[in-house]
Amino acid sequence: MTAQDQTSFKARAGAALADTTLKLAIDRTTGTAERKRAAALAGFPEFEAARARGAAIKDHVIANLDHYLETFERNATAAGAKVHWAATAEEACDIVVRLCREADAKHVTRSKSMLGEEIHLPDALATAGIERVETDLAEHIIQLAGEHPSHIIWPAMHRTREQVAVLFNADHKPPPDAEDPASMVQSARRVLREKFLSADVGISGANFLVADTGATCTVTNEGNAELTTTPPRVHIVTAGIEKLVPTTAHAFALLRLLVRSATGGELTQYTTFHCGPKRPGDADGPEEMHIVLVDNGRSRMIKDEFREMLRCIRCGACMNHCVVYRQIGGHAYGGTYPGPMGAVLTPVLDGLKQSRDLPFACTMNGRCAEVCPVRIPLPTLLRAWRVRSWEEGLEKAPMRAGLGLWATLARRPGLYRLASAIAVRTLRVLGRSGWIRSLPLAGGWTEHRDLPAPAGGTFMERYKAERAKGDSR
Amino acid sequence: MTTRDSILAAVHAGLGGLRAEPDAIAAEAAGLLADLDAIRPRLAAPDPVDAFEIKAAALGTTIERVRHLDDVPAAVGRYLAAQGLPPAAAVQQTAALTALSWEGIAQDMATAPDQPAAVGLARLGIAESGSIVIHSATDSPILLAFLPLHHIVVLHASSVVAHLEDYARLLDGGSQPRNAILITGPSGTTDIEGSYVRGAHGPGFVHVIIVNDRSRA
Ligand code: SF4
Repeated sequence: MTAQDQTSFKARAGAALADTTLKLAIDRTTGTAERKRAAALAGFPEFEAARARGAAIKDHVIANLDHYLETFERNATAAGAKVHWAATAEEACDIVVRLCREADAKHVTRSKSMLGEEIHLPDALATAGIERVETDLAEHIIQLAGEHPSHIIWPAMHRTREQVAVLFNADHKPPPDAEDPASMVQSARRVLREKFLSADVGISGANFLVADTGATCTVTNEGNAELTTTPPRVHIVTAGIEKLVPTTAHAFALLRLLVRSATGGELTQYTTFHCGPKRPGDADGPEEMHIVLVDNGRSRMIKDEFREMLRCIRCGACMNHCVVYRQIGGHAYGGTYPGPMGAVLTPVLDGLKQSRDLPFACTMNGRCAEVCPVRIPLPTLLRAWRVRSWEEGLEKAPMRAGLGLWATLARRPGLYRLASAIAVRTLRVLGRSGWIRSLPLAGGWTEHRDLPAPAGGTFMERYKAERAKGDSR
Repeated sequence: MTTRDSILAAVHAGLGGLRAEPDAIAAEAAGLLADLDAIRPRLAAPDPVDAFEIKAAALGTTIERVRHLDDVPAAVGRYLAAQGLPPAAAVQQTAALTALSWEGIAQDMATAPDQPAAVGLARLGIAESGSIVIHSATDSPILLAFLPLHHIVVLHASSVVAHLEDYARLLDGGSQPRNAILITGPSGTTDIEGSYVRGAHGPGFVHVIIVNDRSRA
């Protein structure tokens, strides 16, 4: 939670719950995302097999991560890129700032990267006095608003179009022709176009690092990554060490899952492999390419139960389908990553002590694990944090922050099971349309909010059944 | 110890200090790509070029098929006229295109930041996704595909491959260019309330001219 909101989770969640505009904004985007994902999967009957394979690919990479890191480094270096290593967020920022200074950079363009947010690169560049221009439309919006992303795919999803119009009217010269999304997108295109071509350094993230070619891969729908990385003299990539894949073909297998799960498309409009700097005679491209490989807690995750979280391909499906995220939005989580995956990752990045409320801000309905394209057992991992929090003596008062009775019950599996079994039965009756307006045990929550009715059986019931299956093997 | 070595040591220790032989790792990685048809979508039509056309059209890409490469300038002229654009375009300075007779279409040698239209040559097409592929090269500037509002792409029917992996295989053996880009429809964004708007930073229009250079049985 460094450099972000220092208020308590309870206060942030409470404020979010009272914000009706926020609720409207979240519903507009998550609703569309959920519908489009469902449609994309309906057209991809191979999805179940593909996600099992996707999980296996990521597991294979993590199990051989030292090999793949060295292979990637060797091949990227052979292609002319310079590979840097950063153990912490601070080290990563120091490297990027130093590279910008060496390039004598006055202004840099940046193509959206959650890793960049994780290491707080925007703040580091500001401190260093380097002008940063965010080129992804959503990042442009939140840069104007002076905010952090509230979603990993749609960083500005907490803003309604009316709010975006206010920001653009104040900043864009000339202002947008009208306040519909199309006119505002055109206006951003106009404003950002000049910035692309005059930047000294372009900074991007990477969705994949391809070991056998040494290429980094970015995926965007807007085309801003290529306009960010091509014109400037220097291209800097920051990427987490878990982004490795063995070959380009493995990247494609994961890409099919990523795009369908994220936006409901089949492929992003632009899927780009960046392999080293400009070659002799190339018509364009940067003269230098730097790749900063960032650990920041990942190597620690390898050895405990959170290793499975390293499979995450940052699609955002878990948050789009999370009842809690859909009530409170991303900012209330207080970390870089919101929603279920954020509740697992933030304690790793910021420490359990500061973020111990997050693993409790979960109803354990299991939707996130059902939709995760690489089958990360998110509820199990959240439960592991709860246990750790108990073990480390961080839990004291029974009605601590968050969800009151609900959280208390969740910490007592026997009671929780009983209570939610009752709830499920009641809800089925109430929730014929799939969404319900009242939920026993969560009065405070459902006052203004709808919660999706459980699909069938509680998570705990299914969890026990799964466990029984596992035991009999 | 350098940061690099300490990160690698931490990873290695986290993995229990074990390390498989590179050959064994490679074999396992290859095994993860076995039976690809079980984990990828089927083509939209039996013929890859038809499948490409169906997928590309669904994304808002427009398509015209012509018989010969020589027919391309006329097709470009028709497209520009239909869009109400002046008969001018930046044309990629690559042999296959510069050899054509562009009479009636003013050629810009360089792409301007607000270029209305540009004509480029695709390396290949991918039937599964309706994507066209471009590679950076001495005769292939990447910005040609990003600066114009209308990106007109010439695609040889013979260079359409079925699946993404068929393209990946072509990159094996060290032929990876600086930039390899799969372009799948016009630029777009859903960043304002999730509603789709076409034409963000890249071209708002992609028009593919498929040159039928395959010998039909
Ligand atoms: S945890 Fe799974 S669903 Fe959530 S962002 Fe990561 S890959 Fe996507």
